[in-house]
Amino acid sequence: MIEVSHVTKTFHAGRPNMFTAVDGVSLSIARGQLTVLKGPSGSGKTTLLSLIGCMARPSSGRIRLQGVRTEAFPSLGDGASLEITSLPERFLTEVRRATFGFIFQHFNLIKGVSALENVMLPGYPLGGDHTLLRRRASELLERFGLTRHAREPIDRLSGGELQRVAIARALVNDPAVIIADEPTAHLDSRLSVSFMELMGGFKETGRTILIASHDPLVFDSPLVDAAHDMRDGKLHVETPT
Amino acid sequence: MIQHPGVLSLLAASALVAGLLALAAGFGLRILLRWDLRSGSDLQLALERETYLVSTLVAFALGTEILSLFLFIFTADNLHGLFAGAMCAAGTLNAAPGGYATLLLKVADCLLAGLWLILNHADTRGYDYPLIRIKYAFLLVLAPLVLAEGLLTYRYFGGLKADVITSCCGSLFSQGRGDLAGDLASWPEGRVMGILAGVLGATFLEGIVFLRTRRGGYLFAGLSGLAFLAGAASLVSFISVYIYELPTHHCPFCFLQAEYGHVGYFLYGTLLGGGITGLGVGALMPFRTHLSLAQAVPALQRRLTQATLLLFGLFALLVAYRVWTSALRLGA
Repeated sequence: MIEVSHVTKTFHAGRPNMFTAVDGVSLSIARGQLTVLKGPSGSGKTTLLSLIGCMARPSSGRIRLQGVRTEAFPSLGDGASLEITSLPERFLTEVRRATFGFIFQHFNLIKGVSALENVMLPGYPLGGDHTLLRRRASELLERFGLTRHAREPIDRLSGGELQRVAIARALVNDPAVIIADEPTAHLDSRLSVSFMELMGGFKETGRTILIASHDPLVFDSPLVDAAHDMRDGKLHVETPT
Repeated sequence: MIQHPGVLSLLAASALVAGLLALAAGFGLRILLRWDLRSGSDLQLALERETYLVSTLVAFALGTEILSLFLFIFTADNLHGLFAGAMCAAGTLNAAPGGYATLLLKVADCLLAGLWLILNHADTRGYDYPLIRIKYAFLLVLAPLVLAEGLLTYRYFGGLKADVITSCCGSLFSQGRGDLAGDLASWPEGRVMGILAGVLGATFLEGIVFLRTRRGGYLFAGLSGLAFLAGAASLVSFISVYIYELPTHHCPFCFLQAEYGHVGYFLYGTLLGGGITGLGVGALMPFRTHLSLAQAVPALQRRLTQATLLLFGLFALLVAYRVWTSALRLGA
C-alpha cells in the first residue's frame, strides 16, 4: 500500500520562476494493483512518480509505504508502514533500491555497455554476490528473449529490445513496486500492447505497478485497476470503465 | 599581538568555529521550538533538509575544535623562546592573562565536542531523527562555551608581548605554591600512582564486563571520566618527574618538546581520546532501547568501549614503560 497525503512539490520556491508541479495530491495505491496516472505533458505525473519512488522529496505532505523490505529497518514489522518523505538520505536510498524498479521514458540505459551489464547495474550498490547477480540478470534476459543479445552493447539493439532490457533491469532487485514513466512513448501499438501484457503478468505475481502515461493503449487497458487523471498538478480520481 | 602562524591559525579557527556554532545554535532553537515529525508542513520538511547541512557543518567545526587544542599547546610551546624566563608552554601560558583559563576551557570544550560528535553519529544511524532535539539542546549549551573560548583566546593572544618576563615551569609547577598546580606537584607520587593504577584497572575491568554483558555502561563512563582526571593529575604529580628523571620537575608541558620525543602529544591524545569515547558510552545509554537505535547504539557503544580500552591501554603502557625505564627511583 502506498499512501500519498497532501503532497506538494514546488520548484524554485520564493523566486520569480516558482513553479508548483504537484499541488496537494492525496492518493491511495493498493498493493498488487496496476495504477495509471494519466494527463497531458506538464500535468505533474513524472514529478509525482519521482516523489513516490524516493527520487525526490516533496515541499510538503507525506508519503507512507507498506511492506518495505530492507535491513535498514530491522525494528519494523512486516505489516508496518513507513513514512518515507522524512527519511534521512541513506535510508531513503535503501528504500529506493530495495523497493522500486524503474522503467524510464527514454530507458536511460548506458551506451557502450552490454545488455547484461546494464541489467546488473542496480544490483551493484546492494553489495550481494556477483555470481548470483549475474545469474539473475541472465535469467531475466532469457525470460525476455534477449539471451543472444546479452553480451552486445545496447547501442545495437532495436527499440523493443531496449525496452525489454530496461524492464529486465527494473526487475533485477526483485522490487515490490514497478514504476514506469511513459513506457510506451517510443513504441508502436503492437509493442505497447505487449508491454501491458507483461505488466499484467507482474501484477499477477503480487507486484504493485504504477505507470504515468497519456497513451490510451495504457490507461484504457482492461488490466488497469485505477486510473487517476492529473491536470495542473492536481488529481481527479476516476474509476476504470 | 604576536604575528605567529600558529596564533593566526588559532584565531581564524576560533572565529570560524564560533561563527558556525552561533549559526547552528539559531537553527537548533528552531528545531527545539518547531520540530514535529508527524507534520507534513513545508516548514517541517525544510527543517528535515536543512539539518543535514547544519549537522555536517557543526561536525566539521567541532572536529576543528578538537584538533585546535593540540595546535594551541604546540603554539604555546613553540612561542616560549620569545619570553624571558619561559622554558616551555607553561611560561608562554603565564606570559599574558587568560592563558591557563583558555587551555582549561579548551579541554572542557573538546570533551563536550567529542560527546556531541558521538551523539550526532548515533542520530544519523536512526531513520526517525531519534536524537535531534537532544543534540541541538546540547549544542545550545556548547555554543556559548565555544564562543567564550574564542573570546578568551583572542584576549590571551592579544595580550602577549614579546618583551614580557614570565615564570618558568619549574616555578609554576613547584610544591608549596598553594594553588592547584602546586597541590598536584605536592601529592605523594606513590599514592597518586596507586590511584591511577586502581582507576585504570577498574575501568578496564568494567569495560570487559560491559562488552560481555552489555551492563554497567554508566559505571564504565563514570570510571572513564575518573581515569581521565586521574591521568591528567598524574601527568603533573609523577609521570613528569619520571620522564625528566628529576624529582622536583613537575611540568606537564616540557615533555611536548623534541628532547623528550614529543611524548606529551601521545599522552594527551590517548588520555583525551579515551575520556571522550568512555564518556560517550554513558551518553548513549538512555537511547539504547529506542526503536530505531536498538541495533545501532549497542554496536556503537561496543566500538566506543573497545576504543576506550585501546586508548587508555596505550596511555598506561607508555606511562609504565617510562616509569620502568627511567633512571629515577622515587622512595628507594
